[in-house]
Amino acid sequence: MAPRRPLQPLDLTLRHGRWYQRTRVAFLTFSVALTFVLPLWHLHSLDVAGAGFAQDSAWFRLGRAFPDQPPPFVGAPTSISVFGLELVDPLLAGGVALVHGVSWKWVWTVLPGVVLVLLLGRFFCGWACPYLPILAASNVARWFLTGLGFKLLDVPVPRAAARVALVGVLIVTALTGAQVLPLVYPPALIGREVFHAVFYGSLGLGALVVLGAFLFDTFVSRAGFCRSLCPGGAMFSVMSGLSPLRVVREKSKCTDCTVCDVVCNLGQKPMTDKLDTGCERCGKCIASCPTKALSFRVAKPALFRAPEEKP
Amino acid sequence: MKRRTLIGALAAAIAFAAVPKRARANPKKIRPPGALPPGKFEQACIGCYRCAEVCPTKCIEFPSTFSLDQATPFIDTASRACVLCMKCTQACPTDALTRLAADADVVFQSVKMGVPKLTRSKCLPWNGTGVCRLCYLVCPYPDKAVELVGPQKAPLFHESACVGCGLCEEACPELAQAIVIEPLGSA
Repeated sequence: MAPRRPLQPLDLTLRHGRWYQRTRVAFLTFSVALTFVLPLWHLHSLDVAGAGFAQDSAWFRLGRAFPDQPPPFVGAPTSISVFGLELVDPLLAGGVALVHGVSWKWVWTVLPGVVLVLLLGRFFCGWACPYLPILAASNVARWFLTGLGFKLLDVPVPRAAARVALVGVLIVTALTGAQVLPLVYPPALIGREVFHAVFYGSLGLGALVVLGAFLFDTFVSRAGFCRSLCPGGAMFSVMSGLSPLRVVREKSKCTDCTVCDVVCNLGQKPMTDKLDTGCERCGKCIASCPTKALSFRVAKPALFRAPEEKP
Repeated sequence: MKRRTLIGALAAAIAFAAVPKRARANPKKIRPPGALPPGKFEQACIGCYRCAEVCPTKCIEFPSTFSLDQATPFIDTASRACVLCMKCTQACPTDALTRLAADADVVFQSVKMGVPKLTRSKCLPWNGTGVCRLCYLVCPYPDKAVELVGPQKAPLFHESACVGCGLCEEACPELAQAIVIEPLGSA
């Protein structure tokens, strides 16, 4: 008899907490769509304006939804302008603060992101990161290859590696005085590479970093890049220490089935209450629990918890 | 946790102490209008490409090679020049491009993207092989940045009055390529 195939994330169904999952997936789809559709839309509107279409033609109106105004959406999730509201990723803004300094505009652009991360923890990774479709593809590849009988590596890279990567990138930034983060931080890279492809018809070499992350996640360690190499994830994890939102388990309902541990991309272990600041608030453990033992609760932030309470 | 905090704080302090005044990566490139001076610009730009996304002539480009400035925009004036609409300066989230109004006087006062360099031996009116005047015709500040002198109506460029948009370089005939906008060096 062939040995049983180990349980994979795609084997699991999401049973409940559907509204949360639907909201998250809708938000994520919107965010990823922005990354891919906005360059196309803006290229189209520039072409329409350049080709001199009549101003009352359908093509012209499609290209410019709001004539005589700046486009309502410009950019990608790491740095976006939404109806005049400017949002910049706290990590990229941190790089600017390190070598260039801060201004009031800097404060206003970074503030919404910081407040959201302090409240919701590392939610960007589960709700908006444009790398997530690539991570999903990597999970599908792992699921498929495991089904074919390949034994894939799943190296447990220590989580602290991400903090080392974060501090390392910041030190290199400080030493060179140039912005290094946009060269290695996948969400920023993916946006720029998609834009590069749409506008100039070519990819920059930064695409190799994204490809490398995909191969690492597929063949070396499941979601290993997000978990223990991404500087953004590390920074959100650190800030997440102040977040009061937490996955809590009701011991009496739990049947120790390990489903929640398997479904988690980031190596959290809700079944044994081993959750740290790396939780991305995707809610998949809650949705996959057969006995509804898990739920989001407002709890004391990880930073203020006494050491013995910590997993 | 305490030791970790200490190490983190130490690393941050060292990093802050080591920050150079200007970026070490300081390639000579023509930057979009309103850009901070070379060296400062590379420190402030996060490579979010919003400037290029709103540029009507699509003249703002990004390098596709591995380098420290891979994420910073530049303009290749020979292939496509800037029309000084100032939309990129209004899109920049980090003020690497200083916000400017699309006003002829404001642009004349505040924009300095490069320096015009004319090779007279290649220029048709100067070497006596033609009556061209294309640079003068496309210049947004004719008679200030470029004036026509002598019986041949040859162009004479004034560096101090030129914003460096590169329209003259784009217009200059392929066979001549007499006028080139040179990037600003670090001060």
